[in-house]
Amino acid sequence: MKYLKTIGFNSNQAIGRGFNYPYDTAFSADGRIFVLIRMGLAGSTGLRIQICTFDDDWLGEFKAGPDDGKGPFKVPVCMDFDADDNLHVTDESLNVVKVFDNQGNYVREWGGNGGGELAGPAGIAHGADGAVYVVEQYANRVHKMTSDGGSILSWGEEGSGDSQFNLPWGATTDANGNVYIADWRNDRIQKFDSDGGFIAAYGESGDGEGEFHRPSSVAVTRDGFVCVADWGNERVQVLDPDGKFHQMLRGEATLSKWAEEWLEVNKDEYDLRKQSDMLIEEFPDHLTSAYHRGSQSEPIFWGPVSVKLDSEDRLFVTEHSRHRIQVFEND
Amino acid sequence: MTTEHRQLVAHLARRAGFGATPAELDRYSEMRYEDLVEDLLNPGEPNNIPDDLIYRRHVDLHALQNHNPAYWAYRMISSNCPLEEKIALFWHGVFATGENKLNNLGVLTNQVNMFRRHGLGRFDNLLVELSKDPAMIVWLDNHTNHKDSINENYGREILELFSMGVGNYTEDDIKECSRAFTGWSVKNGEYLAMMAQKDSIWPYGRVFWHHEYREHDHDNGQKSFLGESGPFNGQDVVEIICRQEATARFVSRHLYNFFVADEVPVPQWNETPPRDPDAIEQLAAAYFEHDHDIGSVLRVLFNSDFFKQARFHRVKSPTEIIIGTLRRTGEYQVPDGGNTGIYNVMEEGGYMGQKLLDPPSVEGWHTGEEWITSGSLVDRVNFAAQHIGDATNPGVQNMVSRVSGADAAGSDPEELVNSCLDVLGPMDVGSETRAMLNEVASAGMKNGGVTQELILDLFKMIVSSREYQLC
Repeated sequence: MKYLKTIGFNSNQAIGRGFNYPYDTAFSADGRIFVLIRMGLAGSTGLRIQICTFDDDWLGEFKAGPDDGKGPFKVPVCMDFDADDNLHVTDESLNVVKVFDNQGNYVREWGGNGGGELAGPAGIAHGADGAVYVVEQYANRVHKMTSDGGSILSWGEEGSGDSQFNLPWGATTDANGNVYIADWRNDRIQKFDSDGGFIAAYGESGDGEGEFHRPSSVAVTRDGFVCVADWGNERVQVLDPDGKFHQMLRGEATLSKWAEEWLEVNKDEYDLRKQSDMLIEEFPDHLTSAYHRGSQSEPIFWGPVSVKLDSEDRLFVTEHSRHRIQVFEND
Repeated sequence: MTTEHRQLVAHLARRAGFGATPAELDRYSEMRYEDLVEDLLNPGEPNNIPDDLIYRRHVDLHALQNHNPAYWAYRMISSNCPLEEKIALFWHGVFATGENKLNNLGVLTNQVNMFRRHGLGRFDNLLVELSKDPAMIVWLDNHTNHKDSINENYGREILELFSMGVGNYTEDDIKECSRAFTGWSVKNGEYLAMMAQKDSIWPYGRVFWHHEYREHDHDNGQKSFLGESGPFNGQDVVEIICRQEATARFVSRHLYNFFVADEVPVPQWNETPPRDPDAIEQLAAAYFEHDHDIGSVLRVLFNSDFFKQARFHRVKSPTEIIIGTLRRTGEYQVPDGGNTGIYNVMEEGGYMGQKLLDPPSVEGWHTGEEWITSGSLVDRVNFAAQHIGDATNPGVQNMVSRVSGADAAGSDPEELVNSCLDVLGPMDVGSETRAMLNEVASAGMKNGGVTQELILDLFKMIVSSREYQLC
């Protein structure tokens, strides 16, 4: 993978262009980019989904509620489009999956507090057969469901053995219908067949190559390379189709079009910025952890929470604490 | 009956931490007092709610640009090293640095981390780290303190508010001190300080700062400072400061004010003698005897008679009220993204007069009775009564069970009151308060026996008392 460009910039407003703690992306059939905006605080009025293009055009945004009769998001986590171009969004606090069409219109939802159907839904991914896999983090299981929430099967329990989980997070499927889960607090990726049969586990705790610290998201390229948001290590790792380490991405953001436009009208900041070295290579001894490096050096990843691949196999890395998306392409 | 030893270790737990739960007090009571002091001074590896769980549930606490007091609160309520948190709180009050100018809360949290690392070590090291701390540098404008154009702000405050106190140095010393700190700046300081000044989050959010020493901007010339001469740099100046008698007394008085008994506000120290001059002399002597080591001074303090006799001689700060209450109720031990109550709780600290990471000025907060106003008192009482009176809180349920299970409490109203005072302290209350508690206990027992409702009523009355405001 090689760096291509950066999309987005920070905004603290509850409406309009700009990201505030972006948390996930998804791509509609026509290639538009849907960006989940967390805003930071549960239940914030700014919780919404923005729509933009790869060429930096901002197309609009939408929220859940109040017109859908079901109310707004509270703690939305992950998104995925189904084969009908409907967007499915999990909410770990409301314990629901909300479904919207590709124009942002509310369609339906399932789960919900009181029903007990979902326990902290996080990652969500659709299989080629139309089934949807929902990660229930608090139940430490993966639930294979119909697109309207009917249960097909589930697997997993708390633990660190094969097919066991510890607060799992992200999910994806590959071209063969296999399912990959970011087993967050076990610091690994687990791979299953479409019926939940265990195939492999990749990685262990650590900060070396092929090791993870709290991986949050996973995506698989057309040719089977596994991209992992190594969230706690503030980096992205690419594994080969056998799960061996292949490449490390640390982030190399440049100014996005939106950032450039903002700085052009704030010349005093732009002038001083040009005199500054935003890529920091040397840090004080007490500020050398991955977290601290990300916090001090602007171009590198800080909070790389989501990895997604678009129809052209370009990798989109969403950084919640830098409020932007870094895009990489196959080299 | 509550033993003298149990009361004494409870006193230590209130001062060296945020108070002890009944279970913690059971454990502490099994230990010799001196061993408990050592345990608090050397607790081993900290254990608190892990950052990864906090960040996953509260994404904004990852970037640490909003609600940072909530992040600190998670540590304070869950830490097994309460003195580490308490010493950080102490230095945060002395070296008061605030959000209102910096607009970068992440660097303030890094400063608090620095207080944890160095707060119990040599004062010299702490002052050097403070002088390198980017939040302090920008807070007191040392990034604009240049070789050819000094800015005296930090040079003045390190002497006046951070080490020696007014009356122990000259204006020339301030200038020479400032010259010594020229070049002590921040990486990309000009740009990042402008972002702070404009409260700019663009383009990609806040960037945390770190110290950069700019040799080319440092004044290497000869300096005369506090009677000594040489081509001093900042570190040399700190060493000279830390050798001064005035510094030993100033630091000792701060420690006394925070850990022993309320003093008058710092600006009056030059005119008003210490409340206990002998205690200050003991602490100052320990400062020199132990090579300026703060932990060693605290060991002397905690083992002293003047400390042991100073029970309930301090007004709790708002943070002590809040954290002490939450540790007792057992709330917020597991972060929950859908529950931002801990954010609101720490906002309440602001209503009570202490918004963490946002002190009113470089002087910090005025303490003691100045914490109490008609408005803040209502907030303090309401807060404590609301949380201690909620039986759904695990810690409250545990305390109710303890009182219900106490043998004598079932038949004697006075013993019931004693049991309630024991699990909430142990506390000693005045005769008027005790009479009211006995009256409520007696009436309640006649009406329905020792019910959960009666116990909760007594809990709420006790934490609404004057005595609960003290520690």
